[in-house]
Amino acid sequence: MSANHAAFNVIFRFVENYVSPIAGRISSQRHVMAIRDGFISAMPFMIVGSFLLVFAYPPFSPDTTWGFARSWLDLAKQFEGQILTPFDMTMGIMSIYICAAIAYNLGKHYVKSHQLDPFMCAMLSLMAFLLVAAPKTKGTLPVDSLGGTGIFTAILVAIYCVEMMRFLKAHNIGIRLPDQVPPMIKNSFDLLIPVLVVVLTLYPLSLFIQTQFDMLIPQAIMSLFKPLVSAADSLPAILLAVLIGHLLWFAGIHGAAIVSGMLQMFWLTNLGMNQSALAQGAPLPHIFMEAFWTFFIVVGGSGATMGLVLCYLRSRSVHLRSIGRLSVVPSIFNINEPVIFGTPIVMNPVFFIPFLLAPMVNAIIAWAAMKLDLIGRVISVVPWTAPAPIGAAWGLGWDFRAAILVVVLAVISAVIYFPFFKVYEKQLLAQEAAEADAQKEAEAEGRQVA
Amino acid sequence: MKRILVCCAAGLSTSMVVNRMRQAAEQQNIAVELNAAGINVFTESFSRYDCCLLGPQVKTHLEACRAQAATSQIPVSVINSMDYGMMRGDKILADALALLA
Repeated sequence: MSANHAAFNVIFRFVENYVSPIAGRISSQRHVMAIRDGFISAMPFMIVGSFLLVFAYPPFSPDTTWGFARSWLDLAKQFEGQILTPFDMTMGIMSIYICAAIAYNLGKHYVKSHQLDPFMCAMLSLMAFLLVAAPKTKGTLPVDSLGGTGIFTAILVAIYCVEMMRFLKAHNIGIRLPDQVPPMIKNSFDLLIPVLVVVLTLYPLSLFIQTQFDMLIPQAIMSLFKPLVSAADSLPAILLAVLIGHLLWFAGIHGAAIVSGMLQMFWLTNLGMNQSALAQGAPLPHIFMEAFWTFFIVVGGSGATMGLVLCYLRSRSVHLRSIGRLSVVPSIFNINEPVIFGTPIVMNPVFFIPFLLAPMVNAIIAWAAMKLDLIGRVISVVPWTAPAPIGAAWGLGWDFRAAILVVVLAVISAVIYFPFFKVYEKQLLAQEAAEADAQKEAEAEGRQVA
Repeated sequence: MKRILVCCAAGLSTSMVVNRMRQAAEQQNIAVELNAAGINVFTESFSRYDCCLLGPQVKTHLEACRAQAATSQIPVSVINSMDYGMMRGDKILADALALLA
């Protein structure tokens, strides 16, 4: 037991001294925050856009004989273009929204310090992104680089534009107008030099890459990132992400926000590829996306605690039962702070193993189920607060086998948590009994005095 | 009336905490304005409040938030994690009011 304790202490100290300070610094770094918040601002477009996919690609086998499905399939085929336009103009060109949103959110960090106008930051980066990603050809804007392919470029362009505006402001480079000029007009003049700088820097770069490599900047950047993107979709990478996210949660820090903030760019790139494969009728290439994380790996919130909450509901410990009651409804919507902080799981040696193990086991099972084509793969962005079985089916284009798998995963995590839950329950029962005894004694003494 | 902002990652679990705090405030007849929000809106919102509380899961933002709020002398603190987990609205409210006293 003492060897165990020593091992736990080493882990605790490592997490407290290294993992959480680094994570803390990363998560409150302004560029990281802006990227994360930018993705969140662009989410509604992607959620609604990808929701519409089901109408064009209904979840029925192409040789179905069921009349309703047959007519839906036929209609979907006939009107595929019309049905997909809202998708094409939201999710299909998501990098446009992401770019503007990241620039806006980064600009907000410089409102007080550099008097930047976030709206102007968004406008400038939108223009810069279109300049490099969608140069007009034959009267149309090519959209190939405005979807998943353009995400990394969108991030880089947004950061470049805002930082450049900040640099110009900090060094007082700009067109100076007398104070009598109204601020609105002044603001619009403030943007003249930055627009010029973008045209003079990014455009020559774009032309150079086009002539040298016959590629647009987004395609060039994508080919640089390609190894990283495919590495991020492998099982070891998934398990590493789960490990880091849950070590942070174990230290009491919102690990999922940090990990998903970093992974979102990979998730969306992969999602873009899955969606274009879907449109071509090809097999879906990727597995690891947001819906895979929220609904399969962490059923009921980080640590896959849905199973644990089910154990709590029938616990003999008053404390655990009250947490179970407090958290059963939020857990359905994947919110589990009461479980994590109330139990507490944070820095609790009893729960260290199952808290890391349960989500990892879920990840392996769900990954295998997708690899073996027992269930489909993610094609949609889904709000993370959707109840896990519904969210899983929705994310996979309404594949209800996924909902069944999620229920099975919750049961498996209940089994994993159960022995550890029993150990902790025993500790709490002893504690609760001792407290009750102490109270009785105090009451008895009080009666004697009276 | 005292105004208190409570922040977590997305403003969801704090909205549960804030509900409990509102109930506690009503029971004790304390007039307070309580709002839950994501940590990402802290910068633009904090100045409208008398004090700000952070959920324990976003405690890594404490220093940055304190630095921003220092000039306006708005206290920022992290909610005790056990109180947060058990959603003890009365205790969290009392701690917040103690910050303002």
